[in-house]
Amino acid sequence: MTDIRLPAEVKHKAELEALAASDNAPRPPGWRLSPRAVETYVMGSDTPVGGVLITPKYIGDRALVQVAIATLASDRALMLVGEPGTAKSWLSEHLAAAISGTSGLIVQGTAGTSEEQLKYGWNYALLLAEGPSQKALVPSPILRAMREGKFARLEEITRTSSEIQDALISILSEKQIAIPELGEGVSAARGFNIIATANTRDRGVNEMSAALKRRFNFVTIPVVEDLEQEIRIVTRREAELRSDYQVGVEPPAELAKVLVTLFQELRAGVTKDGKTKVKQPGSVLSTAEAISVLFNSGILAQHFGDGQVTPEDLVRSLLGAVAKESRDDVKAVREYCETVAKGRAGLWKEFYSAAKRRLNP
Amino acid sequence: MNLDLLRSVHVFPIRHHSPRSSAALRAFLEHTRPSLVLVEGPHDATHLLAALVDPGTKPPVAILGYRVDGEQGSSLWPFATYSPEYVAVKWAAERGARAEFIDIAIGTALAPHEGEVVGHEDLDDPGSEESWAPEHEADEPAAAVAQVQEEEEEAPRVNVYQACAEARGFRSFEEFWEASFEAPAYDPSSFREALIAYADLVRAEGDRLVHRARDAFMARQVLERIEQGIAPERIAVVVGAAHAAAFAAGDVDLSLDECLPAPVPVAATLIPYSFPRLAEQLGYGAGNRAPRYYQRAHDAGCDFQRATLEVLVEFTEHLRLRGFMASLADTIEAYRLAVRLADIRGKAGPGLDEVREATIATLCRGDAAHVDGFLWPAMIGKSVGHVASRIGRTSLQEEFWREVRARRLPASDAPESFTLQLTNETEVGTSIFLHRLRIGEVPYPTYLGTQRGLGGRAARAKQDAALDTQAFLSQVNEAWEAQWTPATDVALVEKIVLGDTLEQVVTRALGERLANAGGAGDAADVLLDAVLTSCPVTVSAALRACDRLAAYDDDLPSLARTTSNVSYLVSFGSTRSRSSVGDQVLVPLARKSFDRAVLRVRQACTGDDEAVAPIKGALRTLHDLATSRPYLDQQAWAEAARDIAETFTVNPACSGMCCGLLYLAQKLDEDEVSRIVGLRLGAIGEPLAAASFLDGFLEVNALVMVKSRPVVEALDAFLAGIAPERFRETLPVLRRAFSRLGTTERRYLLENVLVARRIADRAEAAHIVLLEQDRERLVAMSDELSAAMDDLDELL
Ligand SMILES: Nc1ncnc2c1ncn2[C@@H]1O[C@H](COP(=O)(O)OP(=O)(O)O)[C@@H](O)[C@H]1O
Ligand SMILES: [Mg+2]
Repeated sequence: MTDIRLPAEVKHKAELEALAASDNAPRPPGWRLSPRAVETYVMGSDTPVGGVLITPKYIGDRALVQVAIATLASDRALMLVGEPGTAKSWLSEHLAAAISGTSGLIVQGTAGTSEEQLKYGWNYALLLAEGPSQKALVPSPILRAMREGKFARLEEITRTSSEIQDALISILSEKQIAIPELGEGVSAARGFNIIATANTRDRGVNEMSAALKRRFNFVTIPVVEDLEQEIRIVTRREAELRSDYQVGVEPPAELAKVLVTLFQELRAGVTKDGKTKVKQPGSVLSTAEAISVLFNSGILAQHFGDGQVTPEDLVRSLLGAVAKESRDDVKAVREYCETVAKGRAGLWKEFYSAAKRRLNP
Repeated sequence: MNLDLLRSVHVFPIRHHSPRSSAALRAFLEHTRPSLVLVEGPHDATHLLAALVDPGTKPPVAILGYRVDGEQGSSLWPFATYSPEYVAVKWAAERGARAEFIDIAIGTALAPHEGEVVGHEDLDDPGSEESWAPEHEADEPAAAVAQVQEEEEEAPRVNVYQACAEARGFRSFEEFWEASFEAPAYDPSSFREALIAYADLVRAEGDRLVHRARDAFMARQVLERIEQGIAPERIAVVVGAAHAAAFAAGDVDLSLDECLPAPVPVAATLIPYSFPRLAEQLGYGAGNRAPRYYQRAHDAGCDFQRATLEVLVEFTEHLRLRGFMASLADTIEAYRLAVRLADIRGKAGPGLDEVREATIATLCRGDAAHVDGFLWPAMIGKSVGHVASRIGRTSLQEEFWREVRARRLPASDAPESFTLQLTNETEVGTSIFLHRLRIGEVPYPTYLGTQRGLGGRAARAKQDAALDTQAFLSQVNEAWEAQWTPATDVALVEKIVLGDTLEQVVTRALGERLANAGGAGDAADVLLDAVLTSCPVTVSAALRACDRLAAYDDDLPSLARTTSNVSYLVSFGSTRSRSSVGDQVLVPLARKSFDRAVLRVRQACTGDDEAVAPIKGALRTLHDLATSRPYLDQQAWAEAARDIAETFTVNPACSGMCCGLLYLAQKLDEDEVSRIVGLRLGAIGEPLAAASFLDGFLEVNALVMVKSRPVVEALDAFLAGIAPERFRETLPVLRRAFSRLGTTERRYLLENVLVARRIADRAEAAHIVLLEQDRERLVAMSDELSAAMDDLDELL
């Protein structure tokens, strides 16, 4: 299945080419498209460009995408912050793909991220055989981005150690990486920049040093609060996944509405009408999670059901997602079903009885 | 009359409060050098122009026109220094030219016409149409400011202006206006062309008849001046863009002014106005999302970039003062990002939206809080204008400003709070003044409440049964918030028909309320207000009304309110005079309403949950009074309350509350309370009724309740005893009941549950663990403990 997950620049090659062909606006040095064209690529377009329909990638506030693009067109790096599953990585991938033509120069931030992963390492066999040489050097994605004048992506920056964050400060301020072993340094070609993402649940953003923060402009990606908007995102992305992977069945629109309503109400701790308080689960019920729950229920329906996506499938898929987080969260869902879902009409009725069956075996 | 002559006068189109309009207009006037400047504004207010340009007048100010025939109705014509109308009049004064207003009379603008008033908003300006539509003013003139805003939020109007902006890729009309007209550095003639082209577009969308009638009226005024012998080339006409476009197109039907209604009787004056009111979200006219920012741009010769940098530097300093990292490099980056954003959006320069978004991304590191909390208010500003002393003021305005100055009360358009010590004669006077404004409905003060002198004890004072009321009242102080807004002066001008002094205005208002009082409680409210505002005539009248109404009143909350208000007065003498009324009048009245209330308690407690919600409040009031006022029949109350606590035929929440109140006042001992609670929560009863009893019980004082071991034992047995299938049903009520518990209460409850389950030996350990909030360890300690935790966890 993983093979079908193509990088954005490959998947949307036709769109990117069409945009480039009809883009007369000036491009910042090293950019494949003008800022306007990048915006069109990310936000989509109502009318085809050069005969190619430009699909929306990020669904949300255009102003926020414009701030991101305007930042990247300067020498400031971009930091996308927000709750998990709000499309930070998704936006980062598409921006890199549209501007640099590649979204693959990526460093995953973890507690164990090393300076080698940030700068360069060595092929030790070659190093021993021939001594330090360009051939023995293993460049990091950032070093490659510098050489080629492209964007590097740094995911979950707040999870990295403070040493790594300090090393990043000098990379960002000097725009070069010294390789003393070879007696040389690599300076960034024009077009180089970094898009980082940071998760506000990690609580690490505040602990980042002021010196590092100063190298970035910050764009906060919001959690979607509008019901219709989130339904649009979820159903659209679910349909795309279904067509990418060629599996699953299309769920009825009302089912998506049940799911997204449930997510938003549990997230907020209160029902949409503001009347009933509900227990909030500890884990993040993100938009991304809603997409995968809906997608999975389509797969369940295809394999185990009669080809129709039912509330039963939704409940199974939902519990799979929630249960893996914690027992407490299952409790929260159960209580939600009793206090909220039970009293509602339409598909909620079936949803409630399915949930009751699954939750009290 | 020859319409063609209109084309020979110098017509200049403007938008209200637009710095770019003003800059272009000034250059235009310098160039054309007219001897007569005709300005859009009510022609019968021309006599106010001298005061408008008087050096003693500092905008923002507004012309206030109001009806004097007893009907409600008023309207405002505001001016900032950067308003083109003001610039035109000022220019004329400086250059020795004559300036006159030429629009329809105030009385015409306020006259009803086809279900609305005629108004004076301009077609090209969506702000005036949406946010200060005169029909709102018609019913509630003085309080209109805040109210209009609310209504506006409820019914956002999708209109031609918004559509026009969206079609060009802008999010709002204001953004469109800024990008198209304020930011580009126009010369006068290109500005004029651009604005007229825009106005033509709006005109094509349909012209209201009154707009065309005003076109006709103003055209006639211009033509009359020409007939009087002034050469057309010596005349400049400064009018809204849509009127200018009509003149330029020769599209004026002079007969139309006949369809305007006859003017109603009015008067006009000049009053101070303020930046916050000019701001779009609060009031009149668009183009002023940020008056202070516009003022800066105007002061810098319409240089918006300079204004932007200035506010950003100011904001950086603000952040630094608050201990945030913010460097000049960040400021510059914010500015540059705003410029790049404007560029991406195809704008000539950054507008407010770009500044806001760029500041969040840079100086604020992605967090909008500081921008919305400081930068935005700083852009709006809070300046209040000043009117030259040559403008006569009403006696109410005189009184207001005299008192505000003498008492050093807040005089700016931003809320300020303060506390009055009522031990001091002067501050009692201030209190009376503020209460008079409040009751006379002059928007200025907000009463925040009465607190006991020793801050932290305020909340507890209520529950202290044996309270020395005299001492309490002698220490009383009042917390207030006050904010001057133009609506304050509007009200002071308009209320003059109700009286020449605030006392007269209040006496009249209270008199009306008394005439409409539905029960003793209403009259008692008036009584209290009359004492607070020191209106002796009304005090006597209210007392008589109370006495009369109390004899027939069957409403428990009304009777409780009467008792409470009258008792309040019994001990009030120390802080302010209550004129001639003595305890010999008040005490019998308090007794009368109290006794009547006690007789009606049982009946009042029988309603459903919704019906008894106000009853519960009355029960608490009566209980507090019974236990603190020696002249009330405490015994009768105790019997009535006990009856409610014991009987099963009233709403269980009331029973719970009475039980709790009696227990708290030590009228029930531990044994009795555990018997009653045990009975209520026992296995035989309905879980729902039990939960409701519990809710009323805990509402009284959760802490004392959960500290009582018998109570907790009964509670624990009840929780453990509810059948699982019933448990869910009672969950919402239980959840509400337990939501009254704070962390301390929860800890006590848990400790006592542990004791109740005879695992007290481990309670000490549990106590320590709980303090550490280490639930995991607690659960690991024992199965029993974890079972207890689990039950409670469901709820807490
Ligand atoms: N507003 C949105 N527009 C488009 N896709 C979204 C949006 N919000 C969430 N998604 C989808 O959810 C997933 C977000 O995952 P990801 O980018 O990894 O989140 P994050 O990095 O913020 O944790 C992607 O598949 C994305 O398509
Ligand atoms: Mg991510």
